[in-house]
Amino acid sequence: MTEVLLDWRDSDRTETVSVPDGETILDAAAAADIGLPFGCRTGACGTCTARLLSGDVVHHRPPRALKDRHLADGYVLLCIAEPRTDAHLAVGATVQAELVPNPWK
Amino acid sequence: MSDAEQPAETGTHEHHNHDHEGPGYATPQAAIEEAEPEQTAYVMGLHVGQDVDAPDFLAVVDVDPDSDTYSEIINRVKMPNKGDELHHFGWNACSSSCHMEGLERRHLVIPGQRSSRIHIVDTKERRDPELTKVIEPETVYDHDLSAPHTVHCIPDGEILISMLGDADGDLPGGFLELNDDFEVQGRWDPPGEIEMNYDYWYQPRQNVMLSTEWAAPKTYYPGFDLDDVEDGKYGQRLNFWDWEAGTVEQTIDLGEDGLIPLEARFLHTPESTHGYVGAALSSNIIHFHESDGEYHAEPVIEFDDREHEGWDMPVPALVTDILISMDDRYLFGSNWLHGEVWMYDISDPSNPRKADSISIGGYFGDIQQVQGRDIVAGPQMLQLSLDGERLYWTTSLFSSWDNQFFPEEAEQGSVMLKADVDPRKGTMSLDREFLVDFGDLPEGPARAHEIRWPDGDCTSDVWQ
Ligand code: FES
Repeated sequence: MTEVLLDWRDSDRTETVSVPDGETILDAAAAADIGLPFGCRTGACGTCTARLLSGDVVHHRPPRALKDRHLADGYVLLCIAEPRTDAHLAVGATVQAELVPNPWK
Repeated sequence: MSDAEQPAETGTHEHHNHDHEGPGYATPQAAIEEAEPEQTAYVMGLHVGQDVDAPDFLAVVDVDPDSDTYSEIINRVKMPNKGDELHHFGWNACSSSCHMEGLERRHLVIPGQRSSRIHIVDTKERRDPELTKVIEPETVYDHDLSAPHTVHCIPDGEILISMLGDADGDLPGGFLELNDDFEVQGRWDPPGEIEMNYDYWYQPRQNVMLSTEWAAPKTYYPGFDLDDVEDGKYGQRLNFWDWEAGTVEQTIDLGEDGLIPLEARFLHTPESTHGYVGAALSSNIIHFHESDGEYHAEPVIEFDDREHEGWDMPVPALVTDILISMDDRYLFGSNWLHGEVWMYDISDPSNPRKADSISIGGYFGDIQQVQGRDIVAGPQMLQLSLDGERLYWTTSLFSSWDNQFFPEEAEQGSVMLKADVDPRKGTMSLDREFLVDFGDLPEGPARAHEIRWPDGDCTSDVWQ
């Protein structure tokens, strides 16, 4: 069991979730009645993207929605992410929105 | 009570309801003549990609001008799960199954783009529809498919859904078939017959189907990245199928002119081999037709990129939806980034002639407010009345692309707007009285996407 601190980027809201071994952060949050954005739940769509601020998190299947540059920047997909240590993550829809900027702007 | 005192209203009303049993109309012209003006619209409403912790829903919108709740969301069918991203949807039966005894245009088939979950909604009570069945994603993945998109019924009572990816959200996509009890029958196509998939339309009398190409779900789901375009990860081909055999007979590579070919529309006339595809990124309208046993395709309308003050690169129009009026006379479309709804006369299909346009919302739109409400995104999914006199549209494209290009929409929600069309003069004018605000819902603001009428429409009915 690890403790994961979820930090909503655009507000003061934070929540702490206990994640049992072998469970994803998204599932553990849902079990604790904490709603996080998600879509495919298979690592393809990126809707559940969060950013790791500290700790160690691994993906249990390939994070297909994230490119190498995103992985290098610490983005993780909560639907397939399992914490290996206590962790601190920035969450909420705006995290996903920064993956790909407006190319014309 | 004498006959003269009979409550005529009630009588007409009951007759009106019975009128609409059966799946469709004998011909496109019969649809124009026999259909009553639309009173109810079904609109996809969604919360995916926002910090609104609620499921997506089917919105029932009152479009009857004589009603007290005109232009309001009068009912919603909430989905049982969150995270679906409801997107496109269709009927269990349309005019293609006119001849089928016992079949009714009654059930909506509503896929979740991101969840790969498929919902069946019974609309027997038009203004109080009911969710009756859910096909869970695992059942879809069993056929190595995901990301359901376009739903058409096929003439024998079955339903075909274009699927954009394999079970992992990668390529190839394909087609999933449901039977008339809404059970998954399996794949319709030989796996690997196409790589990318998106929209499709079939013209059974010509034994042809056309399918278009977006990209692998894992490519377009997270957002639009120009690097992916350079890497060839976005589509540029049209696939023409033998409808009976379920195999691709001809593929046309549109090259630079046809980047991201999305919506595919044949003319409604069942004999016609003409139609159009909107190439979203190239911002071209491609006309296709058959001659000498082959299909040919070329751009016939081209929208120029526009300079945006202070931005790095000129912005493409991004043609995200097109539709053809039921009488095959006009082509309508939406340029989502430029903020324009347009109308072209297509009496000569190879030479469309601009009839009119309305500039609203988007990055360049002239009209940025309706009923005091800011229009925070461009015009997107379109729907036209069967008589061709009222054009409606919503403003959300796809949650992650909305967040990238019109981030305000996550906070303010979408709107549904309307223009009055004069088909005789070829003009459109914005109805400034009509506004459906998806920003004002109890759970929080919502996005609005595709629109359908209970009695068939210009973007789903096919004639056998
Ligand atoms: S929900 Fe789709 S990647 Fe996590």
